[in-house]
Amino acid sequence: MAAKKRMAKKTVAKKTVAKKSVTKKSVTKKQTTKPAKKSAANSTRSAQSTRPARRGPRSAAQRVSGLLVMLPWIMQRQRVKISTMARQFNLSEAELVEDLQMAAVCGVPPYTPDALIDVYMDDGMVIAEVPLVFSRPLKLSTAELFAVSVMAQTAMQLPGANKKGPLASALAKLSPLMPAGAETIKVQLPKTRYVKELLVAVETGERQEIEYFSPASLKRTTRTVTPRKVFEDSGRWYVAADDHLSGEDRVFRVDRIEKIAGVQIFDQLREVRDDELPWFSESLQQVTLRVRKQARWIVESYPYVSRVDNKDGSVDLTMSITSKHWLGRLLLRAGNGVKVVKPAEHKPLASQTAQSVLARYQTTAS
Amino acid sequence: MPTGFKAVKISQAERMMNLLALLVDRAKPLTLRQVRQELGKQYPDSDEAARAAFERDKAALREMGIPIETKTLGGDAAGEVTYWVNRSNYELSDLRLTDEERAALQLAVATVHLGAQHGEEALWKLGGERILGKASMSVNIGLVDQNMGTITDAVMKRKTLNFDYKGEKRQVDPYGMLSRNGFWYIIGFDHLRRDKRVFRVDRIEGSVVAGEARAFKTPVDFDVAAAVPTEKQMLAAGDGEVTMAVVLVDASLAPGVRREFGESSVIRDRDDGSVEFSIPCANLDGFRLWLFAMVESAEVLEPQSVRDQVVQWLENLAAGK
Repeated sequence: MAAKKRMAKKTVAKKTVAKKSVTKKSVTKKQTTKPAKKSAANSTRSAQSTRPARRGPRSAAQRVSGLLVMLPWIMQRQRVKISTMARQFNLSEAELVEDLQMAAVCGVPPYTPDALIDVYMDDGMVIAEVPLVFSRPLKLSTAELFAVSVMAQTAMQLPGANKKGPLASALAKLSPLMPAGAETIKVQLPKTRYVKELLVAVETGERQEIEYFSPASLKRTTRTVTPRKVFEDSGRWYVAADDHLSGEDRVFRVDRIEKIAGVQIFDQLREVRDDELPWFSESLQQVTLRVRKQARWIVESYPYVSRVDNKDGSVDLTMSITSKHWLGRLLLRAGNGVKVVKPAEHKPLASQTAQSVLARYQTTAS
Repeated sequence: MPTGFKAVKISQAERMMNLLALLVDRAKPLTLRQVRQELGKQYPDSDEAARAAFERDKAALREMGIPIETKTLGGDAAGEVTYWVNRSNYELSDLRLTDEERAALQLAVATVHLGAQHGEEALWKLGGERILGKASMSVNIGLVDQNMGTITDAVMKRKTLNFDYKGEKRQVDPYGMLSRNGFWYIIGFDHLRRDKRVFRVDRIEGSVVAGEARAFKTPVDFDVAAAVPTEKQMLAAGDGEVTMAVVLVDASLAPGVRREFGESSVIRDRDDGSVEFSIPCANLDGFRLWLFAMVESAEVLEPQSVRDQVVQWLENLAAGK
């Protein structure tokens, strides 16, 4: 026993692996303070954090279900660094060590050393050599099968995906496990041109000259950018890039790029984490709108800072706007379903916007 | 305790591990009495407390998806219940994934974010690893709705769903689900309307309750992508008398409209770069939202009745109505 269970010598965790504190549920569009683009940042960021921040000690069930996944995993590998394994499973080293120490004293009657789970820690390594129980992984749950099916079919739609490659053959091997209903769950990604070109640019570091159209200002600019990351969020493709026009890191909507061409200048590659994505640098103004039921789509479509539900079924929504033009457009679309509550300067904006469009109809009366 | 090795008070987590190990290891069904004999002092001495603790452990294990099966005995042991875990229902069979296939799955999981951990869990069970580096691309398919777990389970297992939608109680056989433009849709047979309907998951009011598995059959010719209308189809799906309008779009926005509605919608390219399009307008409310998104960069030319309607909307708004 002593020889076999050389546990816990090096097991005092010296540091805690930093855990992202973003919670799963923060992906809603309701907690952001900036318009649409910012919502993308929040959702990609929280999606990357795979486990919500925990409060208080972990429950017995959390520890057991974690071990049932970790034990077969380590038994297949036999030796893995404690730090690597803790990071892999989103645990602090102290938590991992605590769990594995517990597992090492579990087993089957009569609980003699050879009837205990053979996992121990030595010199910063987790070692599991002789499989006893829990050497085979649990079956995939329906939620896990669903996740795999969604992720794989999404990945299959990405630029450069090989429809007959290893992902497809992995899916084919998984298909006998899939419940019948999995066949009618589909993901459709937006088909946007230039995604592939941008992705190549991210990987090569080649600067691109783009013609970019901004509907908020109705301006078209030509600028040179170095793409750093391409991502999709809520049905739109974006590219995060070093913008050599403004000298800032910026995020652009790919569907607003009208032309793109490499300029044969190659910058050093730089990776951008999801939580580092840069957003607007323009100053933002907050407005409060009273949204009636028929214009509820506003509540669902745009991020807002706060919402108050009124007794008559209307909602007071405070949101940040990037430009007066953008707000005018929103008011025009929503018609009498929405009114500006504050600031007072924007109260006549719906009427003003309608008048300016009307002018067009009056001059071209047919 | 047979060995005296675990004489100290043990934690619930440890006891659950040992209970599961026992049920998996012993191929035969065990009664609670036998379980207590095997696990010794791990359960409290009093029958009542031991039963309560055992029930808690069993419920927690089942909650994490472990199929603990039961059978009530007859004959001499009438009324006694036996418990066991069938390894073939518990363990994942070896799928013989190649390293290349595992790597492809790892990349897919690293690139496609669901906002839930199920993908990583699946990967670990399949012997893979979460890629900890940064990806040059990411895709976000939000699974963050509180009802998502119930709904996906019901679609996979063909369970009927009950939920409130637009103020009405709906009973829906979910034929399929579609993720498009950042939203999840359920397409199914709506018992209230006695017809096929589309529901947006984030518009469901309150919580969703699912019925029994295999409650319905999905029609053979069901096409999930075709069941949810596109914007173009949405504009055409209305009861307006006029079904098409000619819309002039300025050069700044014309490329986007051309991409969205296709080359077949183009009537004429003008010299200044603006384009005349033929756009469906049977759904007049939808048409209005689409048209006004372009503010002063677009104008309805024909027919006169639609043009008049647009002018009427603008005049009302200009007058503050």
